[in-house]
Amino acid sequence: MIIRVENLKKIYNTGEIQVEALKGVNLGIEEKEYVAVMGASGSGKSTLMNILGCLDHLTEGKYVLDGEDVSSLSGNSLASIRNKKIGFVFQSFNLLPRLSALGNVELPMVYAGTPAVLRMKRAKDAMERVGLGDRMQHKPNELSGGQKQRVAIARALVNNPAILLADEPTGNLDTRSSEEIMDIFESLNDEGVTIVMVTHEHDIAMHTKRAVVFRDGAIISDKPVENRITGNGGIRA
Amino acid sequence: MNLMESFWSALQSVRANKMRSFLTMLGIIIGISSVITIVSIGQGGKEAITGQFQDIGTNIINVEVKAMDTSIELRDYFKLGDADLLEEKIPEVDWVAPSAESMGYLKGEKESKFAHMAAVDENYARLLNIDMVEGRFINEGDVRNARNVVVIDDVSAEKIFGTVKAVGNRVKVSNQSTDTNVTIAGVCKNPGGSMAAMFGDNMPAMVYIPVTIRDKVLQKPEITALSVSLTDMSHSGETADKMIRLLEKSHRNEDKYAASEGFTEMDTINSVLDIFTMVIGAIAGISLIVGGIGVMNIMLVSVTERTREIGTRKALGAQNKDIMLQFLTESLIICLIGGIIGMTLGVVLGLIVGSIINIPLGVSPLVIFAAFGFSSAVGIFFGLYPAQKAAKLDPIEALRYE
Repeated sequence: MIIRVENLKKIYNTGEIQVEALKGVNLGIEEKEYVAVMGASGSGKSTLMNILGCLDHLTEGKYVLDGEDVSSLSGNSLASIRNKKIGFVFQSFNLLPRLSALGNVELPMVYAGTPAVLRMKRAKDAMERVGLGDRMQHKPNELSGGQKQRVAIARALVNNPAILLADEPTGNLDTRSSEEIMDIFESLNDEGVTIVMVTHEHDIAMHTKRAVVFRDGAIISDKPVENRITGNGGIRA
Repeated sequence: MNLMESFWSALQSVRANKMRSFLTMLGIIIGISSVITIVSIGQGGKEAITGQFQDIGTNIINVEVKAMDTSIELRDYFKLGDADLLEEKIPEVDWVAPSAESMGYLKGEKESKFAHMAAVDENYARLLNIDMVEGRFINEGDVRNARNVVVIDDVSAEKIFGTVKAVGNRVKVSNQSTDTNVTIAGVCKNPGGSMAAMFGDNMPAMVYIPVTIRDKVLQKPEITALSVSLTDMSHSGETADKMIRLLEKSHRNEDKYAASEGFTEMDTINSVLDIFTMVIGAIAGISLIVGGIGVMNIMLVSVTERTREIGTRKALGAQNKDIMLQFLTESLIICLIGGIIGMTLGVVLGLIVGSIINIPLGVSPLVIFAAFGFSSAVGIFFGLYPAQKAAKLDPIEALRYE
């Protein structure tokens, strides 16, 4: 099991009021799964994503990621877990504007201490993998939205993480680009990448294999997706 | 992330905001260059003064008649024999240079000039660094034979003869009542340097004559000072007492002479110059601090602007120290580049100012190290707080920042 979450609680202390964002969540995700986390805003899905992504500390409960209990790790240890085991894809891409596409993809390996030559090779491989072999030296502002998100996916994959966490990856994209990204996710999952994706769009969730729905800090439904939309399996450049 | 990578990454970000980086650097440039200019000029001034005394070493004692004492009589003044007496009777004495000084006139065929006249012997040249431009200084033969010769300064030679090549020409030296015809034996550089050139006529001429012709040339021919060179300075106080007692015995008087070490004067000038340099240097140093605050300010702006970038980097696995290092190197680079430009500018400015006031510049390697040291220190000191602020950002908050 890649992710095992037991009785997970997250309580925010905002002055005198305590807000319970997650009320004892239990969730297990196996290797090679493709999961959509759904729910309205304020349902607790973003809080869960932050904890799964080791960006936030949990208040109570247990979180085991890839066989390692990360429930009580400190800031810098979490940074190193994020670096090795988690690949992030954000809604707003979060590419560094001054770096080339290739430079952005190299970044996680810079923090992992990978030697420069190896870094370059692996970054190029990852760029090829998302179909951007001809856009390596472009700056993010010279790329379309879909291309930017593909650079972000290449960046997320480059350290061979245990899990790919995507937070509304199509939220800033048009329909055609969204389909492109979904195709890439589909084929990555076929290659064995575990993907957890937060989305509030039903259409997008229909691409995944399992949908977990949140409401008021608890899971209200967790079942396989029926009538999946599967793309053509190929990646359009 | 290693040091080299954060260096290149920081350099890239400095280059990305050229105008802003330059304006930030300007504070450091002004600070460093003004400190270096001032310190170099101060150092150069000190070296110039020291240079005047350099060749004679530090072993001079001046024995003078207490000029302010109204009970001084004619017999109290030194005689030439006193110099021989000191040389003979006191083993620590190496040589003695007697001197008498008065104001008078130096008269050419057309031109005439107010003059400071010094009656000296051949030892006088060992006392002060006298630069000969033409001919020679007063020598032993001039003194022994009481020759009517003079050494005048170059500015006056230029004025009277139109050239410094005036050796062999005749002039008159006057003490107002009588004129004496003398031959020019040498022309020396005016001790006033460029000041004399600047003030021209308003500076009196410098005229040296053999001490043995002082009676007919000087208005006040009495020898008022004996400059004594000692072989051993370790008991200079006792030796000075011994000399004064010997002189008092020979002149049958008491309490008419005072001894002082020649270098106390230079030490005073030097310490005044040191304080002066320090005070102005400190004022310039304040501008360096202001420059540092400018760096801190711009780094804080940069941290705020790049909050999302910091969040992204942290999400990708950057540790707090990586972020810290990134911003610290950035402020360090700004300050170091500023320091290098400031140093160059400071040395150039110092050279220009030094050549205007005719002081050789004292740029030591120490100044260069100090410039690097100071600018790095400013970069680290004022970069620390913004870098720490960046490092401590919460990744979730930072990623959400608009």
